[in-house]
Amino acid sequence: MKLRATAIAITGALVLMTGAALADSGLEAQSGETVFFRGWQYKTDIVQDNVDRYNAEQGGNVDYATVTGDYPAIMEQNLMAGAELDVLYANPSQAGRYFDGGWIMPADALPNIDAIKADMYPNILDAWTYKGNLLGLSYFVSTRGVMHVNLKKYYELGYSDADFPANWDALYDQLYEMREKGLDQPFLPHWINEWYGISWAFDFEVMNRGGEVAHPDTHEPLLTTDADGAAYRTLEDWKRIWNDGLVPEEVLTYNESSYIDAYASGRYVFSPQQLYDLETFNREDRSQIAGHASLLPYQGQSWGLLDSAVYLMTSRERGDGHTDDVKRFASWYGYQDQTGNVFVGNRWMQESMLFSGYKSVMESEAAAERMKSALARAEDIQAVLGVYAATPYPKGIWSVVWAEEFNSWLKETLQEFLQDDGDIVETIEAINEEIADLNKKYGL
Amino acid sequence: MSLKQRTAELSNFQFSLLLALPVLVFLVLVVAYPLGYALWMSVHEISFFGGYKATFVGAENYADVIDDRKFKKSLWITVRFTLESVALAMVIGLLIALVLNRRMRFAGLVRTIVILPWCISLYGTGIIFSYLAKGQTGIGTAIAYALGIEEAVNVVNRQWVIEVLAVGNAWNMAPLVAFFLLANLKTIPSRLYDLAAIDRMSRVGTFLNVTLPPLRFTLFVFTCITTVLSMKLFDFIFVLSGGGPGTSSSTLTYRIYKESFKDLDLGYGAAMSFMLLALILGTTLLLYAFWGRREARSI
Repeated sequence: MKLRATAIAITGALVLMTGAALADSGLEAQSGETVFFRGWQYKTDIVQDNVDRYNAEQGGNVDYATVTGDYPAIMEQNLMAGAELDVLYANPSQAGRYFDGGWIMPADALPNIDAIKADMYPNILDAWTYKGNLLGLSYFVSTRGVMHVNLKKYYELGYSDADFPANWDALYDQLYEMREKGLDQPFLPHWINEWYGISWAFDFEVMNRGGEVAHPDTHEPLLTTDADGAAYRTLEDWKRIWNDGLVPEEVLTYNESSYIDAYASGRYVFSPQQLYDLETFNREDRSQIAGHASLLPYQGQSWGLLDSAVYLMTSRERGDGHTDDVKRFASWYGYQDQTGNVFVGNRWMQESMLFSGYKSVMESEAAAERMKSALARAEDIQAVLGVYAATPYPKGIWSVVWAEEFNSWLKETLQEFLQDDGDIVETIEAINEEIADLNKKYGL
Repeated sequence: MSLKQRTAELSNFQFSLLLALPVLVFLVLVVAYPLGYALWMSVHEISFFGGYKATFVGAENYADVIDDRKFKKSLWITVRFTLESVALAMVIGLLIALVLNRRMRFAGLVRTIVILPWCISLYGTGIIFSYLAKGQTGIGTAIAYALGIEEAVNVVNRQWVIEVLAVGNAWNMAPLVAFFLLANLKTIPSRLYDLAAIDRMSRVGTFLNVTLPPLRFTLFVFTCITTVLSMKLFDFIFVLSGGGPGTSSSTLTYRIYKESFKDLDLGYGAAMSFMLLALILGTTLLLYAFWGRREARSI
């Protein structure tokens, strides 16, 4: 009887201690005010489920909704108007502009910011830091433009892994070989009609070839017009494969899902895609190349660029209690929950193989297992990590207030370059001129 | 004459003005403020970064717009898109009206089906036509595959994107045109057709001399309406083509959106908006001068 009483007492004490620990996590909502959380459309059911968990366990009153259409422009209007918006998704290229507009509160305002920074990879921390401020917390990190290869088609054409192109020049040469072997359109380029489409394709190809579009600190234009320059070679090759019909013209009209569907159809051999979409392409219910979707490994030249997204907190007018609730939710959602688990980050890794900016997510056993299960071959995990480690970040054109303006201008310019059979030197000069004008416009 | 009697003798115009006054006041308040604010923006350079700043620049934005190569290109795209949209909407609307005016079984059901495209939002229409016209999901590809041609047929390309947009726009607007024309057709006395038959008029002659005259004013009104709607159309274009490929379908509304909301150059965008307003007013005035005035006199 005494033993039973002791057991009950111990259990009770443990429950109380756990309860106290949870209360001490400081993540429970307290103001009763609504926290408005907005993002783009990606697996919204999972996001809603995460939000529901926060609301249920931490007494939150978070209102989650998605924004369709031109996300950066819509969010900018909302921020400018001081609309009901507290936490939002953003790419780093947008976040810097929002910061300069005075519309967001940096993540440095969070009480546990030192622990968050300590858990972040230094290169990611650097990418998300603008004017000395960490702008937001990790949503995902990925390599966009990693060169996917459809192994089934590749092997059918008589190639083996030893023939994998090591760089862009070798890749374009191999496309012409494939045409001679009877495959007219082996390549699906990243020239899609999304705001991050053809412009990012140019950015990453220039960087992969060793060039820089603008200086990382001064943002001065750096493209050269010499025939050996990265920009010249990029545009020269684009013009060549476009004029020779090696790519489908309609790629210029694709949105993200059309782009993924087109590659998943199995018609193409190579395509620069999102790193985490290896998981999509290897799923039988989603892709006709399931089990054959692999990637070109790092062989001295990087592929793609560091694509990432962060959770930002706005600085709109709110009461102090309300702002504290915004911080609590952002911290819970963007870093650790009340148990110390990076719940949302780990969940994205498991659901979609989304990489995280946090070491605690990426270096876990669960993450390693997840990556293995999503890839076509065991050896691909080394290729994934190798490509990811070498991925460049375009600080010169993204960590600057005019990032989105330039991106939008570049998209139109490059589409016209292809369609009008534009002059390479004139186009490069126009790009440099646009950057110089933007620097002048913003007094940089 | 007593005061009471004089008050009771308001003219028709005065009475209608009295009824419309609350609406007019409301409209002035709702329209005047944004219009005035837009006018103010168009003569300023507005910056939101490094603190909000509005610098007076006079007519500089307007001068820049006139010199802008992209504006001129968008102007031409808008004119081409509007001409094609209006022509298609009016012809299709008239044909539908003529068909619906015939005796048929299930006339009510047919009319319900015919009006459906007009009930769909322009955003929805954009999605539908995007699927229909693009190579990956389009009807052209489906037909090509059925014929054994293994090549995607994409018409959202540089050559045809404006035509695709015009067809989609006309598909959305034509039912409304058709129903107003149908209402007109129903007012034509059947004895006129009997007389035409007695006169042994051909079908074309009957159409030109009996059917068309009562429709002409409605045709004029709807030409004006569809012209204005086409010139200021945005959401359908945004969803279907996003102004592309490249800038192939960047109409003035799309260009204004880009300048104002992507580049955040609100002064320049506002100046461009007034250019579009001038274009709309100018076109409708021309339509009235060359067509509407004549039709109004004949009523």
